[in-house]
Amino acid sequence: MPWAARRLLLAGAQTAAVVLLVFALTEALPGDAAVALAGDQPDAERIEAVRAALHLDRPPLERLLDWSAGLFHGDLGVSLASGRPVSTYLADGFGPTLLLAVPTVVLLVPAAVGLGVLAARHEGRAADRIVSAVTLGLYAVPEFALGVLLVTVFALRLGWLPPTALGYGTDLLAHPAALVLPVLVLLARPVCSLARLVRAGMTDALASPYVAQALRCGVPGMRVRYAHALPNAIAPAAQQLARTVDWLVCGVVVVEALFVIPGLGTVLMNAVAERDVPVVQGLAVVFGLATVLLNLGADLVTHRLAPRTGAAA
Amino acid sequence: MALALARSRRGLKALVVGPGQGRTRTRAGGLLPGLLIVGVPLVLALAGPLFTGEAGPRGTSLTTGDGHRLGTDFIGRDVGRQVLLGGRSVVLVALASTALAYAVALPAGFVCALTRRRWVEELLMRPLDVLLSVPSLLLILLVAAAVAPGPAGLALLVALVNIPDTARIVRAAGAEAASRPAVEALRMQGESWARMAFGYVGRSVARTLAADAGVRLTGALYLVATAAFLGVGVAQDAADWAVMVDRNRAGLFVQPWAVVVPALLIVALTLGGNLLVDAALARPGTKEKRR
Repeated sequence: MPWAARRLLLAGAQTAAVVLLVFALTEALPGDAAVALAGDQPDAERIEAVRAALHLDRPPLERLLDWSAGLFHGDLGVSLASGRPVSTYLADGFGPTLLLAVPTVVLLVPAAVGLGVLAARHEGRAADRIVSAVTLGLYAVPEFALGVLLVTVFALRLGWLPPTALGYGTDLLAHPAALVLPVLVLLARPVCSLARLVRAGMTDALASPYVAQALRCGVPGMRVRYAHALPNAIAPAAQQLARTVDWLVCGVVVVEALFVIPGLGTVLMNAVAERDVPVVQGLAVVFGLATVLLNLGADLVTHRLAPRTGAAA
Repeated sequence: MALALARSRRGLKALVVGPGQGRTRTRAGGLLPGLLIVGVPLVLALAGPLFTGEAGPRGTSLTTGDGHRLGTDFIGRDVGRQVLLGGRSVVLVALASTALAYAVALPAGFVCALTRRRWVEELLMRPLDVLLSVPSLLLILLVAAAVAPGPAGLALLVALVNIPDTARIVRAAGAEAASRPAVEALRMQGESWARMAFGYVGRSVARTLAADAGVRLTGALYLVATAAFLGVGVAQDAADWAVMVDRNRAGLFVQPWAVVVPALLIVALTLGGNLLVDAALARPGTKEKRR
């Protein structure tokens, strides 16, 4: 089977697994939604009534089929807490999260590649040592701790940026200053880990015979670095991409909670707090699918750049 | 990704020791910086609870001074005392989850490495490949939506999230050792599986796995702290650095110490831990043998 087909098959399996896992996790665990919804005095009669209203009395397999059939049509069910369709929750949170995600993804690759190549070019010298030490140190630091410290410095002491996006609502585009710190915090871990890998790949690639030969032939250094060495140097970084995507998805939740941005992560956290299972399920599927798709895209691009590595599948 | 990665030696190395640890890495300057940075929060976390006195009377919320060195927190408790108490849970839960992840991943990885039946390997490893596609924090939040996990539950969840990666690395490292003639000899001699797995393969990959355990531990610290910040696995007013950051955030402008001190301690713990692991990996004695 060709590589791309196998990779697509894996993505399909992962999608199915995400849907199954989300359903199984929210179903199998004790304390079903009816008990949570029945309120402060959960008498058996009321629980039964809620259960019947939610079709929770039907067998799990039947509900799973119903639910996944609904997913195909974009029908994610109805919130337990408010009775609104889950899709309206998604629509509300989508804009702010997109505003957060787009600059992050756009900046991520250039920043990581730029830092990595910079460090590799000056291997062993001051620039490399600074970049290496900072990227190594920062990439294990939790976003919330880093974010709080940045807020203390830039919002509290210096007063340059707003501390949170509180009060701006979903109209964040009108207040770009409120997005600076969130995007910075969101970028920190993925940029550091990718930059380290690009640096490692790049030092190997720059020391290789083909780079020496290209330079000997008089190919400009810029072109050797970015057109010849870089595609090969990215290959090891590709192996980290799955984890990077994972970090971005987790980071969105934390950053939105920290900076009070009313995006999908905040919707998810509120639903978790209210034990609003359909909303949690719907958002989990969306986040899971985003992970699968981002991974798929990253793998396809990397495979195109450096087919020999056979990344994934 | 896992299998292709594990099959190539280069991929294995990238997986096991992280990037740039071969001949090309720069020395960050030995163990000392990492040790110094991680030492303060670690000592505070483990020994801190021994030095706290009785809880004093509650003061006014979020004030500074008045006999409290670091001021008071959102319900008027002494921040200094909370800081002393708050590190233990983070560190212990992270340690427990790393140990748990290894307790499952070691046997599973060795079974895959030592078996000659392809289907056993596929059966054990393929589901883990698929599990990798679920974002780790999402899994934790999903469970938290249904039950309120305590610290033990959180440790279990973080371990669960770490099992796929760990099992892959154990398998990848073990497969190399398991293909050596020595294992063939042990097999012909009729040695038991446990003897081969833990006596030979385990011993020859111990170094690689120790390195991975370090990386895993910093990852667990991150996840435990983040989950606690989001309110998973901890009480609302728990003495926990991550919870302190979350709960005292509202008073950042009047009483920054209640937020900044625990945040700094968490940063130092993860940052220093990472530097330490990296420096330990770079020591000549622990470098992977090149064959």
